Amino acid sequence: MRIYHVLLAVCLSTAFISCNSEDNPVVVQPLTATTVRDLAADPTSMTSTSGQQPVAATGKFTLFSFIDNKQIANTDSATNKWDVGFRGTMIIVNGGAIRSGQGGAYIHTGTFDETATVPTSATFAQDQSATQLAITASSGKGWYNYEPTTNIISSIPGKVLIIRTGDGKYAKMEILSYYQGAPATPTSANVARYYTFRYLYQPDGSQTLK
Amino acid sequence: MSLSLLISLSLIQPVPTDTLKARSIDEVVVTATRTERPMGALPLPVSVISRKQIQQMGSLRLNDVLREQTGLAVVTDHGQGIQVQGFGPDYTLILVDGEPIVGRTAGTLDLTRLAVGNIKQIEVVKGPSSSLYGSEALAGVVNIITQTPGETTTQAKGSLSARYGANKTSDFSGDINKQWAVGQSGKLGVYVFGNRYQSAGYSLTEGSQTVAPFTNYTGSGRLTYTLSPRVKLSVSGRFFSESQSNEFIINPASQVSGPGTVRDYSLNPVLTHQLSPGWKMTYRYYRTGYFTETNLRYTTTQEAYDASFFRQTFNRPEIVVERIINPKNILTAGTGFIAETVEATRYTERKQFNTTYGFAQYEWMPTLRWTVIAGGRYDAHSQYASQFSPKLSARYALSPAVALRGSVGVGFKAPDFRQLYLNFDNAVAGYSVFGTQEAAAGIARLTQQGQIAEVVLDPARLSAIRAERSVAYNLGAQLKSPVLPLMVSVNLFRNDVRDLIETQVIARKTNGQNIFSYNNLNRVFTQGAELESSWRWSLGTGYLTISGGYQYLVAKDKAVVDGIDAGTVYRRNPETLGSERVKPADYGGLFNRSRHMANGKLFYEHPKKGLSASLRGIYRGRYGFADRDGNLILDSDPEYVRGYILYNLSAAKTWKTITLQAGIDNLTGYSDPAYIPNLAGRLWYTTLRWAWKA
Repeated sequence: MRIYHVLLAVCLSTAFISCNSEDNPVVVQPLTATTVRDLAADPTSMTSTSGQQPVAATGKFTLFSFIDNKQIANTDSATNKWDVGFRGTMIIVNGGAIRSGQGGAYIHTGTFDETATVPTSATFAQDQSATQLAITASSGKGWYNYEPTTNIISSIPGKVLIIRTGDGKYAKMEILSYYQGAPATPTSANVARYYTFRYLYQPDGSQTLK
Repeated sequence: MSLSLLISLSLIQPVPTDTLKARSIDEVVVTATRTERPMGALPLPVSVISRKQIQQMGSLRLNDVLREQTGLAVVTDHGQGIQVQGFGPDYTLILVDGEPIVGRTAGTLDLTRLAVGNIKQIEVVKGPSSSLYGSEALAGVVNIITQTPGETTTQAKGSLSARYGANKTSDFSGDINKQWAVGQSGKLGVYVFGNRYQSAGYSLTEGSQTVAPFTNYTGSGRLTYTLSPRVKLSVSGRFFSESQSNEFIINPASQVSGPGTVRDYSLNPVLTHQLSPGWKMTYRYYRTGYFTETNLRYTTTQEAYDASFFRQTFNRPEIVVERIINPKNILTAGTGFIAETVEATRYTERKQFNTTYGFAQYEWMPTLRWTVIAGGRYDAHSQYASQFSPKLSARYALSPAVALRGSVGVGFKAPDFRQLYLNFDNAVAGYSVFGTQEAAAGIARLTQQGQIAEVVLDPARLSAIRAERSVAYNLGAQLKSPVLPLMVSVNLFRNDVRDLIETQVIARKTNGQNIFSYNNLNRVFTQGAELESSWRWSLGTGYLTISGGYQYLVAKDKAVVDGIDAGTVYRRNPETLGSERVKPADYGGLFNRSRHMANGKLFYEHPKKGLSASLRGIYRGRYGFADRDGNLILDSDPEYVRGYILYNLSAAKTWKTITLQAGIDNLTGYSDPAYIPNLAGRLWYTTLRWAWKA
């Protein structure tokens, strides 16, 4: 995780002066947000006859770890190594009846920057079944809107995904684009299924998200 | 200034010798009150498009004519419909001789179904007229007045015309008009019109047909029989049939093709009985039907892609009594019954609904300066709550030249068949749409099949759907200069609409798709101003008429406005892509509404030489197309379609009975394939017309 590295570097560079927390007052370093660009979500493998999406449990997801800021191999899907997963427009969390971790998600209305803590009103939903995901996988109900006249998937502005990770830590996340290169105004010529998002992960287990 | 002085002043003015001008002052319209009234005296915004003007414009179909009128926009959604005062096509009633045309697809009544060759004049009333016409007359009424057998006995006249133009478009029209004397005081009149219209369609994008080739036929006619000076019978009818050969690409690998047909017919006997100078009875019966059928198949395999039909009938008997108490007090009252049926592929069975209605209207002219009209209509419907639609309007003449007028009225639009009865599962995409009366059964069926993941809204709550309702205010002034050939009118309007019916997700399926139904959701308003003026010059021995029109329009969703004020509506910053709050100034209102629309027209006429020409410029300002940043509202530049101007040019020369006309529509060839599919590019045409009298 990038923040971690930066803090570590600061710590190392000042090591010869003093780097033990015992005689230092606790300085809360502000966390900074990380932006991930063009993360390719797993394709929704179309069944040849009907063109409908298969139910979630049969396919694979592009798994992602906040703390490591990288994609996690699918073989680790039953561990707490990953926090969120992507397939097509579906986003999963690491918690619930069909997951191994303790995670969940809450969709908060507001801006990313103003969301400084986990809202007191937050209720975390979990992935209970392939059709009962914490982040509802349909237009207008979860993270995106589908515009039928242009066939464009747009992430709903003003929606901050509050994510509880598999091991009970908190993060906030905002999907910025579903298209490769994150164009401001995507058209049907743009390639879909490439997530650009920003997130802020709180490693200390608190509900502070700034 | 006293009225007598005004009258004497106006008497001093030279009497206009120009017959055309005199006629334009006396234009008679029926739509505003359901009886013939001089247009100038009406307290409502009414405009009239004459047959002569339609001919000079070289228009063939109703959409061509209406596109050029101030404040009207032709919009495309399953056909070409009309937008009035910012309302979509569903909210304007289209009448032929006072009787409604039926057959709407997704709310749009396709104006291309109506040929204009048999039209005497088109009357457009803006603002709600539900107080006279009931449902759908919420934004306005367009009434097409067709030709009647002439007044002169034993004279016959007729015309034949042929036209050919771009896109292999051909049009043949003919009409005959004849009267006979029957017995002592009887008169029999016949008017017959026929039209054939064909086009090879056009393509705006490589490899696919934007409009497929089609051919249509229109026949209409009217028989009038004057039994005595007091009793008149009129029977009119219409038949329309169109066939289209569809062929389009659904994805790179497959193409579908097949025929589509549209038919409509109507029959309308009307008996008028002048009991005494003060009492007049009108008995009408109207029957109309609309029928479509499509059979699309994959071109290669001939497997069925979409086979569907839609059948609608509309029956209406009506009695109207007009009581002229004295010239200052006129009462009109009527009652009727409407039986409608629909059968379609996407409906479970044949559906029927009935309306019983009564209306009354009182016209009061207490002084020469005042005209007051008060009216109301009550509609009792079998499927939704009853409606009462009152309206009050008044006109006050400040002087012979200047008059003020204002009106307040209620308009409504009933939930349509689709909103009540649709029962549609999209097999390809996997979603379902149910009308409000079908939702409970539909959800129950899908639950039994294990297809429901979650019910979001109890369908039982939808069955009490209400009609959409508006309260409208129109305030205007009209100047008709007694000295100069100048006319200026201005009208300010405001419409407050509630219970707008929108699609709403009522459940989610296990395949991740939604189930939609309809519900009374939104409140919107439209407001604006309309300005029209015309000036007629004598130019040598000819006349030049210059006219201009402009409409300013704001149409917004009240919930969105409130949300923006409360800071709960967000947008995506185009630079950072992060969320930010939408500012009030960023909200562009409802989609598909232009804030600015304008037209400028030049009509030149030289009656002696038989010459006429016109150049018209029609401007439609930018308008919202679709949301692009996920907040579902119009708030950023890429969400707009660019504004554009169309120039239409025509010229005609008449030699005795023969007229040759040529013209070019869309002179600059403006097109926007992605966003404006009904704009075909530059279209030339030439017409030869023969009009005879015997």
